[in-house]
Amino acid sequence: MLTLLKDLRRLRRQLDLPAPDHARSLAVRHVDAGSCNGCEHELTLASGPHYDLARFGFAVVASPRHADVLLVTGTVTTRMHAPLLAAYNAMPEPRRVVAFGDCALGCGVLGLASELAGPVEDVLPVDLRVPGCPPTPAAIAAALVELVG
Amino acid sequence: MSRSPLNDYRTRIAAALEGGSRFGGLHASGGTVRTALVAPSGAIQFESAPVVDGRVTSIVDLAPAANWDEREAFDSYGVRFDGHEPLRPLVDHDLDLVSWTVPVRGPDAYQVAVGPIHAGVIESGHFRFHVVGDLILHLDARLFYKHRGLERAAEGHTLAEGLAYAGRACAACAVTNTVAYAQACEQVLALHPTAEVARARTILLELERLWNHLNDIAAVCAGVGLAAGNMRFAALTERARQLNAQLTGHRFLFGSVEVGGNRVAFDATAARAELAEIRAESESAWRELLFNASFSDRLPDIGVVSLEDAVTFGAVGPAARASGLAEDARATSNLLAYDGFTAIVPHRAAGDVQARLEQHALEVQQTFDLLASLLDAPVVAASCEPAGNGRAIGAARVESPRGATLCIVESTNGRVDRVRLRTGSYANWPVVAHAAAGCLLPDFPLINKSFELCYACADR
Ligand code: SF4
Repeated sequence: MLTLLKDLRRLRRQLDLPAPDHARSLAVRHVDAGSCNGCEHELTLASGPHYDLARFGFAVVASPRHADVLLVTGTVTTRMHAPLLAAYNAMPEPRRVVAFGDCALGCGVLGLASELAGPVEDVLPVDLRVPGCPPTPAAIAAALVELVG
Repeated sequence: MSRSPLNDYRTRIAAALEGGSRFGGLHASGGTVRTALVAPSGAIQFESAPVVDGRVTSIVDLAPAANWDEREAFDSYGVRFDGHEPLRPLVDHDLDLVSWTVPVRGPDAYQVAVGPIHAGVIESGHFRFHVVGDLILHLDARLFYKHRGLERAAEGHTLAEGLAYAGRACAACAVTNTVAYAQACEQVLALHPTAEVARARTILLELERLWNHLNDIAAVCAGVGLAAGNMRFAALTERARQLNAQLTGHRFLFGSVEVGGNRVAFDATAARAELAEIRAESESAWRELLFNASFSDRLPDIGVVSLEDAVTFGAVGPAARASGLAEDARATSNLLAYDGFTAIVPHRAAGDVQARLEQHALEVQQTFDLLASLLDAPVVAASCEPAGNGRAIGAARVESPRGATLCIVESTNGRVDRVRLRTGSYANWPVVAHAAAGCLLPDFPLINKSFELCYACADR
């Protein structure tokens, strides 16, 4: 265990992470509205040691009640339409919506029209758009830091 | 019973299963139901039955692994299966709770509903636990929240265009799904992958497997709550994805597979050096995990899948091998460069969380070995060569990070009539539900992580 922690410290030193220059934070609730799982995998690594988004004050929270930001991945399927709205409606004001990845933005979506409710902006008011298929962790970091700035 | 084509269908399937074949998948297509059977040699045989008055005889009693396939065929294609009672909805959602859950009654039995939105960065899906206190009596998993209708949407497109639909099904298995699709199409088109094409595809498949193994070990650490182990393997996953981007221009290797050949080209020298470093790092990280008692104490004897159950439920991939089932589609793949490959099974094939975790550690070594020997020369662009006659149906089985994935392509005039992608995750989801029964509710996240299945490639 101690060796593990030591290794992590070493990794941190090697990575030379930029330091945050503000003292604000945002609580993020993620909803997968119909992704291919690529956006989720990159989001997960954005909290990993190479990018460590937590150091900019980002926390993924378990409940929409605790969230400032709703981060939506994937194009919205008919089956995720209602759960997505429920999550949004459970959030306190002020709240922001991030459409995350090309599918969420409605770019190059594949699928059957009858199974899809549309891109996120057809369903919710979108405040920030993060393009990419999937957005790389570096792009995620840049976009979210802008949101908190 | 009278001798009708339907009975012949059942008889032939029973005989094939008796002869050592395994159920590979079942799908409905234009008035016919087709069952794929996989022989120990890897050969795929189809048995078909015509749909008469919207009905076909069920084979779920012969092959319980056909359970989801038959339910999907009814929900999506309206085929009823005689003898499959009750035929619970699977893809369909607009239905009563009673219609899709197994009735569980008794003193103090109640239900816990989880999802479709989960508490972390996790794909969407719904679990309905039937519990008494913390004890899980039964789990009904309702997936398909992410159903995008990809198979139907691919219909009518050219075979080359259809590739994107197979790729979009899932990022974690994008190479597997597209290689399986490409191989199926090549059978239709009477093409055979040359040694260069086979080698390039095998390298891409193993690069995909590499980051998945590292990710899956990280996931089990996360399931236990061991942040240090999780972060360390997350860092290695990141390095593997960076390597993918360096070699092919995409961290998930998107767009690196094509029908009829290979266009990815790179020099392998840098990759070899980086892989050797990732290997050394992962070995040291793994040793550290072994010595962490509070971590390893959480792993044994939970989420157990016996060998018998693995066979019955049609488990595939590392999860099946962790139960002692020595099957790996790589061992029988003559269209890829896996010569001499044999499936590995752990010494302690207990089928629990520990065995599934150890299986990743074993298999990641196999992947490092394979990549080291395959990356002995530059990867070059190459085309398939013409071979034999085309067919109306192509079928290919490729080992994904989650297990064998079957892709079937039915085609006329160079267009997709029907494509069916039965992924390793699809095969294993019912196994997860089975493994959860008898365990404690708070153990479920860990059990689930030890399978680390994709929702996207089950839902499509
Ligand atoms: S944007 Fe790309 S990675 Fe993200 S869900 Fe869509 S296809 Fe997958």
